[in-house]
Amino acid sequence: MKKSSKIISALLCGALVVPLAACNGGGMREKYAQQSLEQLYDRFEGDIERGTAAKPITLHVLENDTAKKSGYLKELLDGFNKKYAEYHIVAIDANQDQFSDLAENGPYGYGPDVLYQANDSLMKYCSGKHIIPLPTDKLDAYDQLPELAKKTYTYSLGGQDYFMGVGVNIQAPMLYYRKDLLPENWETEWDEDGNGVFDPIEDMRAMYRFSVWRHEQDSSLYGYMHSLNDAYFSSGYLFTYGSYVFGNDNLDYTDIGFNKNDSYKGAGVVLQLASMMNSGCIDDSITRARESELANGTYFAVSNTQDMYGTMQSELIAVYRKQGMSASQAREAAKENIGVAPLPDLPESGLLSSTDKDERLLPSVVMGGINGYAISSYTDYPKASLAFLNYATSYEMILRRNELLGVSPARQDCNTDCTYQAEVAHELFELVEQNRISIMPSISQVDQIWTPIGTAFTDLATDPYRDAHARKYYKANGTLNNGELQALLDSVESNILNAIFQLA
Amino acid sequence: MQTETDNIYHGRPPFFKRVGQWFGDIPHRFTAYWRGVGKKMSSIPSKIAARAYITKTSPKPVKASMCLMGLGQLMQKQIVKGILFLLMFAAYIVYMVLAGGRAMYDFFSLGIIAANPWLGIKGDNSVVMMLLGILAFILTGFFIAVHLANIRDARRTYEYVSRGNPTPNFKQSLGSMFDKYFYVTALVLPVVGVFVFNILPIIFMIFLAFTDYGGDIVTTGALVSWVGFANFKRLFAMSGLGSTFGKILGWNLLWAVMSTALNYFGGLGIALLLNKKIVKAKKIWRAFPVLAYAVPGFITLLAFKFMFSNQGPINYYIELWGGVGKLFLGIDSKWSARLIGWLVNGWLSVPSSMLLATGILANLNPDLYEAAKIDGASAWTQFVKITLPFVIFATTPVLIGQFMGNFNNFGVFYFLRGGIYCDGYFLASDTDLLINWLYNLSINKNYYSLGAAISIIIFIIAAVISLFVYIKSPSYSKEDMYR
Repeated sequence: MKKSSKIISALLCGALVVPLAACNGGGMREKYAQQSLEQLYDRFEGDIERGTAAKPITLHVLENDTAKKSGYLKELLDGFNKKYAEYHIVAIDANQDQFSDLAENGPYGYGPDVLYQANDSLMKYCSGKHIIPLPTDKLDAYDQLPELAKKTYTYSLGGQDYFMGVGVNIQAPMLYYRKDLLPENWETEWDEDGNGVFDPIEDMRAMYRFSVWRHEQDSSLYGYMHSLNDAYFSSGYLFTYGSYVFGNDNLDYTDIGFNKNDSYKGAGVVLQLASMMNSGCIDDSITRARESELANGTYFAVSNTQDMYGTMQSELIAVYRKQGMSASQAREAAKENIGVAPLPDLPESGLLSSTDKDERLLPSVVMGGINGYAISSYTDYPKASLAFLNYATSYEMILRRNELLGVSPARQDCNTDCTYQAEVAHELFELVEQNRISIMPSISQVDQIWTPIGTAFTDLATDPYRDAHARKYYKANGTLNNGELQALLDSVESNILNAIFQLA
Repeated sequence: MQTETDNIYHGRPPFFKRVGQWFGDIPHRFTAYWRGVGKKMSSIPSKIAARAYITKTSPKPVKASMCLMGLGQLMQKQIVKGILFLLMFAAYIVYMVLAGGRAMYDFFSLGIIAANPWLGIKGDNSVVMMLLGILAFILTGFFIAVHLANIRDARRTYEYVSRGNPTPNFKQSLGSMFDKYFYVTALVLPVVGVFVFNILPIIFMIFLAFTDYGGDIVTTGALVSWVGFANFKRLFAMSGLGSTFGKILGWNLLWAVMSTALNYFGGLGIALLLNKKIVKAKKIWRAFPVLAYAVPGFITLLAFKFMFSNQGPINYYIELWGGVGKLFLGIDSKWSARLIGWLVNGWLSVPSSMLLATGILANLNPDLYEAAKIDGASAWTQFVKITLPFVIFATTPVLIGQFMGNFNNFGVFYFLRGGIYCDGYFLASDTDLLINWLYNLSINKNYYSLGAAISIIIFIIAAVISLFVYIKSPSYSKEDMYR
């Protein structure tokens, strides 16, 4: 026993010593470090690859679950396979999780050839060169993309810009509300500027007042609701007051922007919103229930993304059916009664209780994303993959995607011509044009922001539900403690920097 | 005033006294250990000289086997055995020429060509190189062991024949593998299995702690480098990390001790209760905990998270009955979250303890209780003096296993209260255990080398506690008590 333990100890000591004595590749590594990128686009030159009837070329396509469930992916694959049948190219479902990581699978030959993911997921692959730069002159959709989509998918390396993916649809939180739950007298009581629009839809101060009023009328009812701990949905309140994620267009991760400019006012907005909701805003209780609670009228409005529109509509149809409407009546009523708008403007002071009619309102900014297609660097068939990408981003297929999935097209021509939820699509496109969508950063360091900022939002949302003496962000007189709000955001910055640099 | 009689105990000194003595003896043990090491070191030259003499005076077949595996056997007319040894030697040489030598070199260099998927350059995979390098060293170790066995075999055969016996043929040698040396034969496969499935990953993990494998290197497929003790230095140099480590370690120990006790005594209590004659329909009662046990753990945890959520069923009923809802798992809810963690863990683990205790109690001799009753022992005395020692004796290794499982229980707080950092903690919450923190710091952020360094520290802490408890337990020190 003693002898064996000594042998094991000696082995372990040896194991510790060897790495210290080891020398790495050293000079040999430097010798092989220079790799020219001149021939980069050569892979897309020449005729498209051809298979044979006996051995066709197989393209593996990674799509999201909604595309599969709705039948869109099947339609897309069938259409492409028919068009390229003479080349014996067969595109198939990659049959992988929609969030699967190309960086893990690709190098070992298990990844897809073409993949559809959110911009932050796709662009994270750039530093490892897992997706290949695309020749813009060979992309049919390129000229129709808005500048923001082009910028989002541009990767800079060694002073050179590379275009890495084609944006397909824009996604950002919007305000969804029930038109049929507006107060009967809203035109006289809730339209102070007389512009024919319900004030709470335009002005967060009015939404705050309306929510408080609605809850006072019936304690089981609420106005505007969403889970405030969700960093994706809540970051927009900070962005509206000049905050940002990373400096230099989200590329400089040494500059964390959550505590910059007047972001503390945005934190105060989160705090005030929490006070008019319920404790469900601290965790994901509201997220879990928002579609059904909007449908049964408990909530008047929610912040949600367009891909959930179908669920909201189905829930409302079910409620209407229970109330005795026929199927077609319920469908029509649900379509008519779910209103959509950008999130209401926020007061410059950050005080939702403000009643100053002359106060300047800031257009709300939200965090958003542009999902798109990219091609794996590990594909054996780059030209066939490019052909698929062009087919999938063609005018017809993007319109079809809008019809079947209800997403907002990123292509300008498709956005103009789309028919399904066109109002939302146009609104989102307008937000893009107005720079009111802050696109999720596309660098890998973005992974380090979610828990620190999410924790801060949780802390803020909790504060109104603490005992009065234990509240951290209110002064004794009940006003907001801006110093503490700023300190909270400073700690977010510190946590993110710790996560990025102390571990690196 | 303390007198000499204060230090005289009838039986064992009190526990704290013993712990104090144990710590007080550390300097003495330390000195004794190094004195022993010194003695060993000073005897090395004489040992080398003795070895050299044995080698010099060895008979020719033994010397031949030292030079070439199997040659000594061939010289002693053990043709099949000699050829087998020679084949093994050849196989090792071929392996080293074709792959092993390169793998050993790559182990040190960890590759020289970086991958560039844009240009179709696959590049070197440092991690695979490290793994293959370790394998090459293990195989070399195995080869050396076989070579030494070959020398011993040649010497044994020579001495056997020198005593006037005929040379054992291959059939006889083979027979001895299933007779005299059966333990060797029987252990070959398990040893290989242990090396491949246990030792190799552990050594790999240890080596990983001395590299920079993490962050962008993982996602970009860049080459890994050896960095010595840099990860350990970084761990202790990080601002706020030391205090967080202390806080989490303290909570982790409390969590592990309390949960193990709760689960163990909870299970034992239910088993004892269900053993009572007064309990009817025992099978049905026993089935309920087993049902809880049968549901996958993470489903149960998510269900409890939902139940205790701010707008969940528990708060619903509290408010329905006129109370004020509580934030059971909120950012300020350190102790309520910890309490829920213990209860949920108990829900998941008590059934297995109950099943275990039920089986063990079935083996307990009822005569012991009869005798105790006659002697006037109360129910509590019977439990403390008969039931508990017997059950603890039989289950100490399981108890240590449960303690380790609880010490490294990742799921409970990951599912119940993941995704928040608390004030005063470095990238951790006040319910995170070391394993959760390890996840936050390493796996979640791809810092595998740092994770490996923390794992080594956790391993040392956990191993020391487990070994200490095991050695001090009756299962080890009083092995024959119940035989």
